[in-house]
Amino acid sequence: MAIKLSGITKTFGNYQALRGIDLQIKKGEFLALLGPSGSGKTTLLRVLAGLDFPDEGRLIFDGSDVQHTTARERRVGFVFQHYALFRHMTVAENVAFGLKVRPRHERPAKAEIQSRVSELLRLVQLEKFGNRYPTQLSGGQRQRIALARALAIEPKVLLLDEPFGALDAKVRKDLRRWLRQLHDEMGLTSIFVTHDQEEALELADQVAVMSEGRIEQIGTPDQVYHSPATPFVFEFLGHANRLPCVITGDQAKIGSITVPVQNISTTRELAGVAFVRPHDISLHPVAGMTTLPVRIRHMFTAGPGVRLELQRLDAEGILIADLSHEQVQRGGFAVGQAVAAELVLVSAFPAS
Amino acid sequence: MSNSLTTARPRDARSEPLWLKLLLIAASLGFIGFMLVLPLVSVFAEALAKGFAPYFAAITDPDALSAIRLTLLVAAIAVPCNLAFGLCAAWAIAKFDFRGKSLLVTLIDLPFSVSPVISGLIYVLLFGIHGWLGPTLDHYGIKIIFTTSGLVLATIFVTFPFIARELIPLMQEQGNEEEEAAISLGAGGFQTFLRVTLPNVAWGLLYGVLLCNARAMGEFGAVSVVSGHIRGLTNTMPLHVEILYNEYDFIGAFAVASLLALLALVTLVVKSLLEWKFGDRLAAGIKH
Repeated sequence: MAIKLSGITKTFGNYQALRGIDLQIKKGEFLALLGPSGSGKTTLLRVLAGLDFPDEGRLIFDGSDVQHTTARERRVGFVFQHYALFRHMTVAENVAFGLKVRPRHERPAKAEIQSRVSELLRLVQLEKFGNRYPTQLSGGQRQRIALARALAIEPKVLLLDEPFGALDAKVRKDLRRWLRQLHDEMGLTSIFVTHDQEEALELADQVAVMSEGRIEQIGTPDQVYHSPATPFVFEFLGHANRLPCVITGDQAKIGSITVPVQNISTTRELAGVAFVRPHDISLHPVAGMTTLPVRIRHMFTAGPGVRLELQRLDAEGILIADLSHEQVQRGGFAVGQAVAAELVLVSAFPAS
Repeated sequence: MSNSLTTARPRDARSEPLWLKLLLIAASLGFIGFMLVLPLVSVFAEALAKGFAPYFAAITDPDALSAIRLTLLVAAIAVPCNLAFGLCAAWAIAKFDFRGKSLLVTLIDLPFSVSPVISGLIYVLLFGIHGWLGPTLDHYGIKIIFTTSGLVLATIFVTFPFIARELIPLMQEQGNEEEEAAISLGAGGFQTFLRVTLPNVAWGLLYGVLLCNARAMGEFGAVSVVSGHIRGLTNTMPLHVEILYNEYDFIGAFAVASLLALLALVTLVVKSLLEWKFGDRLAAGIKH
């Protein structure tokens, strides 16, 4: 189902949770709403579901205005962060709930409900758990049941509110991959709220980065990661090395060197901040025309690579660089060594 | 080195010495024994002082029987009323935000802080022959004071908080998520209430009904003010006990009182059973 939001605003008392949100979601898309707590992403999801109503703005599902329809009428599948399974019902009864509460003329026969429930339990790989109660399941199992329950009503769109937030890292990684697979196989349209940028970048077709009730940028994971539109987006999606600079044209002067900037072009000179990702810094043993003098302050193994803390020697500031083990060995880098840092890919934003 | 470790037993900082434990237990048991068990036992002892025959005669006496019937009737009306009011109030308070919510919560607790006699007096002042509404109702032939209706009203007032107070924290802790899930799955308001909210509070509800019932049957002060003390007509069991005692019919008085004591014991046993089986669900309220 295609969704269009325009000018959505929502205020709770004195607090503005959403400030004019414009968003378009294509049928079959997997959209991630990414942002820190308080950014308004859960509120936006609830507005889509009909659990909260916006103060202003328009909400259009497949061409029809759904502003004044209730959550019941919108046929959205909602998966809560803490599952919200019905504690006094068995797993099978939970999954069947959406079908059992339909008005008489829409309700399928008992046998059909049963077969649908079995089918869904098989889909989430929990066929033998039908007679168990939610408290007898692990967190990951509960979330799968919550998903099965939401899918039972054949929703037009699936809304997930940090569904893996309450699970531990390994389970989270397995489940999210499985969720994307399910989305593709069933041809769903899904909107997924998360504060974990790794999750968003791994799963989504489109990522909407939100901050303080506004959408800072919408784009593919590649776009938001490599071409961030604002400093907030840059910093939220990964570590950002910030270096004060002066931007002229499409070049930035940092310290004594000048580097090309990939995202901006100015007509006049601007004071700004240059942003570089840790893996976009490469180290050379000898200084050059386009390198900054640094000293290696600290080095530690961070999983598949090595993370280095570099103290700038030409100005104040620490840079973080990620290198592979081979690069470190080849260069013979050690703590305390003075080396040269080359900034391979730089984004710059005017200081404000 | 090993000697000093084995000869002196290290004192666990968290537990008291044995003598203190025994003293506290003895004091508690003594207090309970003297203040609760002794009076209860003496009720039965006095009632059966002259044997079973006078006991049965006392409790099958027509006035006693009608008092029992009236007590049961009043409870049978008051408890369901408070069940309905309590459920509605708890649901509104726990699931919604509205202006005047804290006022409502305070009002619900009012009957607890008001003396039972005053509770009864309120109704006399409202519906009595010199009261605010009394003359108007009397004009239409509706009598409240000195009739069963007055007894029911006074009992409802006095036992109102029990069910509401049991349900409110329970529902508040359970939150709205399950209800929101139900709505997003297509359930209507009433369906959600019936299938999701109610089953979740079932044990708290039962607990509250039990307490409400015990109090409704045993209420004396409020009911005494509102009743006409007409033997056989407007006397509940507690009132009947008072009458018998004032007439020096001790066997009779204690016999009827023993029925109330029996009710108290049964309530206690059922309450303990509920707590034992579902204690964790009742206390924390929810995650079982």
